[in-house]
Amino acid sequence: MLSFAKLHRSLILAVRSLWLHKLRSALSVLGIIIGNVAVITLLAFGEGSKQDALEDIRRTGATNIIVRSVKPPDVSTSGSRSFIVQYGLTHKDFDQFLTIPDISRAVRMRVFPQDIYRLNKKFNGRLVGTTPDYAAINKIDLAAGRFLTEHDDRYMENVCVLGAETADYLFPFEDPVGQSVMISQHFYRIVGVMKDRMPTGGTGGSLAAEEFNNDVYIPLQTCNVRFGQAVVIRSSGSFTGENVQLHQVTMTVDATVDTKAGREKVRAAGNLIREILERNHGLKKDFAVTVPLDRLEDAERTQDRFTALLFVIAGISLAVGGIGIMNIMLATVTERTREIGIRRALGAKRRDIIMQFLIEAVVQTTIGGLIGVLIGIAAVYLFPPFVEWISKYFDALHGVKFPAQLLLWPIAVSLAVSVAVGVVFGLYPAWRASRLDPIEALRHE
Amino acid sequence: MAAIARVIDLVKIYNMGAVRVPALNGVTLAFDEGDFIALMGPSGSGKSTLLNVLGCLDRPTSGEYWLGDEEVARMGDNSLSEIRSKYLGFIFQSYNLLQQYTVVENIEVPLLYQGIRLTAETRRRCIQYAEMVGLGERLDHRPNQLSGGQQQRVAIARSLVNDPHVILADEPTGNLDSRTSVEIMQMLRRLNESGKTIIMVTHENDIAQWARRVIRLRDGQVESDVRNEQRTMVELAS
Repeated sequence: MLSFAKLHRSLILAVRSLWLHKLRSALSVLGIIIGNVAVITLLAFGEGSKQDALEDIRRTGATNIIVRSVKPPDVSTSGSRSFIVQYGLTHKDFDQFLTIPDISRAVRMRVFPQDIYRLNKKFNGRLVGTTPDYAAINKIDLAAGRFLTEHDDRYMENVCVLGAETADYLFPFEDPVGQSVMISQHFYRIVGVMKDRMPTGGTGGSLAAEEFNNDVYIPLQTCNVRFGQAVVIRSSGSFTGENVQLHQVTMTVDATVDTKAGREKVRAAGNLIREILERNHGLKKDFAVTVPLDRLEDAERTQDRFTALLFVIAGISLAVGGIGIMNIMLATVTERTREIGIRRALGAKRRDIIMQFLIEAVVQTTIGGLIGVLIGIAAVYLFPPFVEWISKYFDALHGVKFPAQLLLWPIAVSLAVSVAVGVVFGLYPAWRASRLDPIEALRHE
Repeated sequence: MAAIARVIDLVKIYNMGAVRVPALNGVTLAFDEGDFIALMGPSGSGKSTLLNVLGCLDRPTSGEYWLGDEEVARMGDNSLSEIRSKYLGFIFQSYNLLQQYTVVENIEVPLLYQGIRLTAETRRRCIQYAEMVGLGERLDHRPNQLSGGQQQRVAIARSLVNDPHVILADEPTGNLDSRTSVEIMQMLRRLNESGKTIIMVTHENDIAQWARRVIRLRDGQVESDVRNEQRTMVELAS
């Protein structure tokens, strides 16, 4: 019968026996410690980078669908009468997009490079003609002032909102709101300034990396009136012209990405949009449809694969740790043969001996597991500042970030597995100890 | 006096590979309650084997062994453990204390395996036994901080803690100088006089003098079985 008192005694004995051989015990649980540290830290950094990737996708808008005009490669200016290329999305496309039921918001954009003047300063920026919904759909933050309004658009006001870098370059020492800039012979009153905005990642689909900080936003109607349909872009001494009604349309589907049905809705809307475009544009592939949700799912799949791999690695290191424990326990049994004989003579049954050694193994792996978890948690908190320190004092690792997110379940799992490793790998040595002949054991030197 | 332990036609044969070595060859003995018996004989005479069988550490090849009114010769490993734990106390030549434990904890070990709850009360009892063997001042010492005689006294206290029917002593003075040996034998003698049955293996005549009955073995058989004339402790010590 295993009474509580006996268990208590066995625990104390186990700790004392381990304490008697501090270095040996520490070395034998090293495998377990490393295994646990690996699980905790890798999963924390894995989860951190996953959240980072997902955040990046959410910035683009996880339920958004982005349609862009793409200049077809086979349309060359040399053969045609005009040097102005006509391609891309049309207002007709946009009107048809609006008929898709689940789309709650749609924003049209015209985007082209323009020089922006302020007194004698010139800034090579990017002009974005758009509607007020742009702010909501892209979840942008303003540093000062307001974004464009319906009123601005309807009355074709000459107002603009500056990107963070544009504002910083043209108005380094003053508040830009209320001042004006000149774009292509016309003055625009500045009504707002954007906060510094992270560029979206350029991975996957046709969505190229996009930089927003040198933008200037003006109302779409104003843009149409001031610039017309055809726009001439001057770059490095040559001209290119294009006639594009809309450069980009961003739509938000009224759904959540957290449910399967919601994701299905987004995908269905994406397919409808592709159908509409294929019907309207025929063989001319001058558009690209991007569904950020696809990237989200890609990222999630990658993460799942990563997690599975981590488990395999952790499993291997814990098995190695367990073998280490078994090795030491076998040595311990041999070394303590006499003690086993004494205990047997004093009335210990075989199962008492088994319990004693099993508890010792489990105490060892559990302590190892706990140490591993603590080191792991410490590593998660100390590693990012360490990397920062390195990048500060040595010329390396600049801009490398280690986003980490400590998860509770890997801690629980590693501790449980540590205990299990103690049981599994302690069982055989304990059984060996219990099979010793008491007389032989007593005679053992 | 009633016999507390009896062996009838005990045979123990060791299989050393192809050779069969008989260690006990038909030993029949009765041990009375309250007696003090010395088992003597040259090495290879079978005295240690007999003690192992009596101590339920070994099972005879054939024959019977009655302890109280239980036949233990054919019992299984678990039952033998229980018999050892309940009815027997051991004293070894090399003391055999557990190095990780303090004096009082060593005395406590047999209780640990009796399945009884270790309480402040059992702890008090262990301390009483420690005081009885004169180690009340050293309860928290480890075996390696004690002299040989002190260690053997701890072992004696340990052999008493489960209030055994029989105390089995395997050359209890074999590792001790003559003065300490006398101390230990006085202690055993006092225990015997207070009613404990003691069976002791020794090869020293001086030590055997302390017993009441001396059994000599040779080649696995009883050679002689004599009662010592009664002498006082003072006479024996001189």
